[in-house]
Amino acid sequence: MTGTLCSPWFWISALALALLSLFVLYPLLNVLTASFTGEGPNGWSRLIATPRYLQAIQNTLILATTVTVVATLIGVPLAYVTARYSFAGKSLIALLPLITLVIPEVIAAQTWLMMLGNNGLITRALRDIGIRLPSFYGWFGLITSMSFIYYTYVYIGVVAAIGKFDAQLEEAAQSLGTSPARSRLKVMVPVILPAILASALLVFTMTVGNFAISMILSHRLPLLSVVTYQAAVAEGASDITMQSTLASVSVLIVMAVLFLNRWVVARGRYEIVQGRGARPQPLRGLKGAAVALAAGLVVLISLLPLISIILGAFTQARGPVMQWGNWTFANLERVFVTAPQPLINSLTYAGVATGLSIAFSAIVSYVVVKKPNIFTPFVDYISAVPLALSGTVLGVALLATFHGGWLPLSGTATIIVLAYVIRRMPFGMRNGQATLHNIPNSLEEASISLGVPPVRTFFKVVLPVMLPAIAAAAVLTWTTTVAELSASILVYSGGRETLPIQVFRLIDSGLMAYASAYGLVLVAVILIPIIVAAKLFRIDVFAAK
Amino acid sequence: MNIKPIHIVAALTLGLAAPALAQEPVLYTSNPVQAYEAVQANVKAETGLNLDVITGGSGVLLRRIEAETSAPQGDVFWSSSTNTLGAFEQLFEAYASPTLEAMPDDLRYPGDLFLPANVHVATMLVNTDQLDGQEVPVNWADLADPAWSGRIILPDPVNSSTGYTIVWGLSKLLDEATYKAVVANLVISGSSSAVPRGVAMGEYAVGLTFETNSYSYVDGGQTELRIVYPAEGTFISPEYAGLIKDAPAGENAKKAIDTLLSKETQIELLKVAFRRPSRTDINVSDHVGLPDIGNIKVFAVDEAEAAEQRDAALAAWAELPKAGDAK
Repeated sequence: MTGTLCSPWFWISALALALLSLFVLYPLLNVLTASFTGEGPNGWSRLIATPRYLQAIQNTLILATTVTVVATLIGVPLAYVTARYSFAGKSLIALLPLITLVIPEVIAAQTWLMMLGNNGLITRALRDIGIRLPSFYGWFGLITSMSFIYYTYVYIGVVAAIGKFDAQLEEAAQSLGTSPARSRLKVMVPVILPAILASALLVFTMTVGNFAISMILSHRLPLLSVVTYQAAVAEGASDITMQSTLASVSVLIVMAVLFLNRWVVARGRYEIVQGRGARPQPLRGLKGAAVALAAGLVVLISLLPLISIILGAFTQARGPVMQWGNWTFANLERVFVTAPQPLINSLTYAGVATGLSIAFSAIVSYVVVKKPNIFTPFVDYISAVPLALSGTVLGVALLATFHGGWLPLSGTATIIVLAYVIRRMPFGMRNGQATLHNIPNSLEEASISLGVPPVRTFFKVVLPVMLPAIAAAAVLTWTTTVAELSASILVYSGGRETLPIQVFRLIDSGLMAYASAYGLVLVAVILIPIIVAAKLFRIDVFAAK
Repeated sequence: MNIKPIHIVAALTLGLAAPALAQEPVLYTSNPVQAYEAVQANVKAETGLNLDVITGGSGVLLRRIEAETSAPQGDVFWSSSTNTLGAFEQLFEAYASPTLEAMPDDLRYPGDLFLPANVHVATMLVNTDQLDGQEVPVNWADLADPAWSGRIILPDPVNSSTGYTIVWGLSKLLDEATYKAVVANLVISGSSSAVPRGVAMGEYAVGLTFETNSYSYVDGGQTELRIVYPAEGTFISPEYAGLIKDAPAGENAKKAIDTLLSKETQIELLKVAFRRPSRTDINVSDHVGLPDIGNIKVFAVDEAEAAEQRDAALAAWAELPKAGDAK
């Protein structure tokens, strides 16, 4: 027992728990207790008495499950062919899915409507030859657009895991007489399963919390995020019973899924002794063309919004009406010359937030996976709590908690950075944990037995092995942080607009051309660090050559 | 033990937190970029002050003001109609701006707690390319024809004051059977700005929205769009600005309001954002292609009653079948 108290890991986990309690649990409890304490009947009995709310919960579960399955079915095969084979156009395919992460969802939804809406290009073309598509408003549109946005999370999470998978295992299985396909299934799947599950979990929670697309495409189909927002608007701040209850439901759903995820991962532990990834095999001829075509098609579909941003950024506009075919630099001039503050703010806040999240999640996920103690299960659960919070709930909770009092943060840049870190740190935590499950304990045991103290062992032995995964997590954190909207739009103050806030404002005002220009710069802000990391520092962000 | 790490984190991050200069006024608004940029430019020109702007839905912003009552961050709120503001009166303080002299009495809020900044007029935005053989509707009652089912879009009255103003007005103007038939043809949009955009894109044939939103697409050059002021009379709704209680900018907040309501700013707002002025000394048709208010038939509704009966009206509205309902 005294041994535990002397261990630095014990104190680090205690510190992590204290920070998480203050910045995650405490604000959340502030909001959640309201579901019981509000005026009139408590929120839970009103929830059960309202068919619309129950239907919203059911619809959200169906939607999230379907989107998760479809996104996984797109993302895993794409990751597999990119990691293991080389074919025409691959370098493009490996990089481009990232872009879809940062395209504002509102623009994505708008582009889908241009293609498949009531008056969409594809809808009209098909109608001319006698095929009537179901209305894009509702299930069809929600599932299609969300799957083609969120598969990228699966792709990025899984491609790193497959890249690290030791091909010798597969060869060993084959030399023992197992067929190639079977050996892949038996040997590779268990090893990459934690990564698949972690990304699927992410997709599930993103779908449950999705607000922008749901608002535009669901129309009368009740969804949890939309009814929560409507309850919030209808109730205001004096009585927050119903919004808190509905927010609690989404928290409970995600916690349940997280628990399931942990249970599956804990059942089988597989460690890769030596991460010697397989060399990508060239695919030629018909097979190569087919793979390139299929992968290219997926990427092309998800890139349609980007194309509309690029065209929009250079197109003249009069008010909301685009003058297609008339080109201009005026929109970009606004971004860099007339109103550059959003760009500066985004770079500063997201940079600081990414640094903090990555440092926190690397150390804490190490403690959780490799040095479990009495605190670590709590640290693990609480660090995942933000996954279950929609940005709106988090924003309201932070404002209510850190306004005035002993820690007055509202009206400062700190609260924006805080919102960023809380929202995005779980990504780094999930990634870090998935990676650490694959790093054998024997490595650091060897180091410690040779007399290196535990903390130095972490920095000298474990951290270098984790580095590719940390780099990948940093990229994911940076991209999603720069693009974060729903929490920051609640907590920002005058003069502290970020790029996504500016894009959102402009779209809401119908100014598509300016919005596209800011959107294009946002995409560039995300891609440039990735390209620099890959080319200059040889950080293999996607673990796939 | 508990305090120390927090201080470290706070110290690390507070370096970013240069506080805004106290004397610069901050505007909370749900108005579009064109509109608040025009106000920012005029405030700068008239007073030399930089007007900072926070945007968001009016409900969200009002809740934010409420959350900030112990230490207000905003000075001026400019966004909402009576039916939304009524519940938030305690967050504001009355200000008898000298500009009120130019405002008609029927637009003024009791006690001048809020100041009328502009007037909204409900319109039908019609896309003539999407009529499919139907005539352009001229009356609200024309929309009862089942041929319009699923082709008319309206912002959700639950969270849009545009939507609520129109639904409340229609329920008073039309007889019950016609009203129900119109509602049965409607598709509800969760997002207000998606309504005119949806019609402009050809997603819907008719959009029910305020003229400021409709006209920007006509002004942009989309000649297939038509703005209809229904012949039975349409609904108007003043949009208010208010001085937030204990505004940190003090006198400068009042200067910002005076500038917002000045003749120059109102004309500018009309030109760039098509906001119909609340002042009586501006002829709308001198500046943009919109009719003067005297040439529009208005169906008077009791805004106070609409605000009072909001919950009941919305509950009744929720029960009516609509075209966009999930099966």
